[in-house]
Amino acid sequence: MKLAKPDLRDRLAAEFVLGTMNGRTRRRFQEYMKRDPALQSDVSRWEAHLMPLAGRMAAVDPPARVWRRIEAALDGSRSMAAAKAKPGLLQSLGLWRAVGLGATALAAVLLVTVASLKPPVEQEPMLMAVLAEDNSDARVYIEQPKSNLLMVKMIKPWKQNPSLAHELWVIPRNGAPRSLGVINAATDTKISLAGLDSKLADGALLAVSLEPPGGSPSGVPTGKVVCKGSIAWMPPKTQKAPAQI
Amino acid sequence: MSESTGNDRLAGLLAQCGLGDRKAFADLYDATKSKLFAVSLRIVRERHIAEEVLQDSFVNIWNNAAKYATAKSAPMTWMTAIVRNRSLDIVRRPLVEVADEDDYFALNAEDQAPGPQEQLASLRDQVRIERCMKGLDAEQLQTISLAFFHGLSHSEVANHLGRPLGTVKTHIRRGLQKLKGCLES
Repeated sequence: MKLAKPDLRDRLAAEFVLGTMNGRTRRRFQEYMKRDPALQSDVSRWEAHLMPLAGRMAAVDPPARVWRRIEAALDGSRSMAAAKAKPGLLQSLGLWRAVGLGATALAAVLLVTVASLKPPVEQEPMLMAVLAEDNSDARVYIEQPKSNLLMVKMIKPWKQNPSLAHELWVIPRNGAPRSLGVINAATDTKISLAGLDSKLADGALLAVSLEPPGGSPSGVPTGKVVCKGSIAWMPPKTQKAPAQI
Repeated sequence: MSESTGNDRLAGLLAQCGLGDRKAFADLYDATKSKLFAVSLRIVRERHIAEEVLQDSFVNIWNNAAKYATAKSAPMTWMTAIVRNRSLDIVRRPLVEVADEDDYFALNAEDQAPGPQEQLASLRDQVRIERCMKGLDAEQLQTISLAFFHGLSHSEVANHLGRPLGTVKTHIRRGLQKLKGCLES
């Protein structure tokens, strides 16, 4: 069982690494990959291409208990290997099939997931948008890492121009644009605003307009819209998970 | 610490892990835990699940460290791929299909392999991919960023953007092709 066409193999390897395949396709691809060292090489090549993107992500410290559990798991797996197998929760649930020893931690994750199907408590609102010119040249990348913070990153910065201000707007599904403030068009900006969430709440688009220095005097965009993009909202994954069960 | 020292240091720690050195493993964990936790957290979006992913990934990094010596990837590429794969498997996986995780993992870690001279400096790689990302058009950049950073599937990206699935697939496919052209040129 092999995937014959090189183009198809390469495309699937890229999508596997990017992670866009649905669950079934992903597992089927993993089956192919096991039997096909060349496909593994394609995947490795794409990993080498794409993984460095993660380097720009802000680090988050895990709690100390994670390390304690890793150490416990290593010590435990030694004794488990000696005892060959230990009757566990998985067996009692009738799920014990080809689950290797090392998979128990993953199984624990899945069980935890079941236990927490109630709506998650700490959901940070999050959005992402790429603002582009009419010719679809991307200019600005925007993310909301926290409820009161927007990160505005310049993909292609503008030249500084003291006689012009670049003002960021959220355009709701229905209603007038709301200002999110003037951004620095030459470099990355953080917008920290109380009540940011409610301003963004029903937002459909983000846009940047050219305004007089200091921003629009009237509270609505007055100048040319230089770039805009639709908002992608990040709903919690875990609310979707139950639907697959 | 320079980029290559960083990479060499991580590769050295991995090699020591392969020989059973738990102190080296602790150092490797300290050096990489925060980046890798962030990678998983973005995808699984729940801290306790990201903690389990990190734990599980490091147990496997330990178990496969000896095989890393022959892998062609830079250490962070290898470890990031492990953490992303775990995270994606969890958000894409219906509950009952737990099997085979280890087989996949072991195979994944056994890529045939080139020598250490091919371990690319991570910062250089990062600069290159970011430069290439800037060459994408807006739709391609947005769809690929949503998929990479947030772990969204084709259909989830389509839902988030309110676009047809086929359109999103096309943007992603063309974007990846363009990236490939840029990265392999």
